[in-house]
Amino acid sequence: MKIQLTNQGDIHVLELSGELDYHSSPELREKLTELTAKQASKILVNLGGVDYMDSSGIATFVEAFQKAKRYQGRLILAALTPTVRGVFEIAKLDSIFEISSTVAEAEKCLGAKA
Amino acid sequence: MEKRFELNASSEVLSPFRKELRQILEHAGWEKKTTNEILLAVDEALTNIIRHAYGGAAGKMTVSVMTTDDRIEIVLEDKGKKFDPTQVPSPDLPRHRPGGLGVHFIRTIMDQMIYDDQCPGGNRLRLIKRKAKI
Repeated sequence: MKIQLTNQGDIHVLELSGELDYHSSPELREKLTELTAKQASKILVNLGGVDYMDSSGIATFVEAFQKAKRYQGRLILAALTPTVRGVFEIAKLDSIFEISSTVAEAEKCLGAKA
Repeated sequence: MEKRFELNASSEVLSPFRKELRQILEHAGWEKKTTNEILLAVDEALTNIIRHAYGGAAGKMTVSVMTTDDRIEIVLEDKGKKFDPTQVPSPDLPRHRPGGLGVHFIRTIMDQMIYDDQCPGGNRLRLIKRKAKI
């Protein structure tokens, strides 16, 4: 799995590609923990390049989402592939997370500032 | 068709094994969505062996895959400590805390999850899925 962290104005963008499973999720957890530890107010996770995700990936996002919520931060998941969306649906978590169909839509939701 | 894999109980083996299993499922004529779901269920079962049966310690796990025209059966065996996923209660969904979803995925995806409580010195779990009749 590849993880690229960039800033789009005041939004922290994590672009993921590859497979998110029990082996790769600790690396993602580390990146998200760094962001929530400094109370990043806007986190956008671009999942467009993720073609596989298991419950470890879900658990990583649930943990980061809960941490962000505690300090009124926002975490949006964007551009989910059908396979990844299916996993959120089986977990019935598609209604809990903020999910945008595209990165542009997520940026708009977060009110991107240049 | 029957194929048997012997794997190290380590998270590194998960991705290469999924590739092998995908090929078997595609060859057996499973549709893409169900293929992805079965891959997820088996991956969760293997992850449970690594995490719960071996607790992160070294060990072996074997996976036997049997396909016929209308179903697939996957048997997972290990020599770790007893862990019966059929006894894990179903979580209340949506779950607001991390974790506890792996067994739910297996139950939701597969038609049968059978734990052999007579398996000597380890665990034996059978996962069965039948093709939907058109």
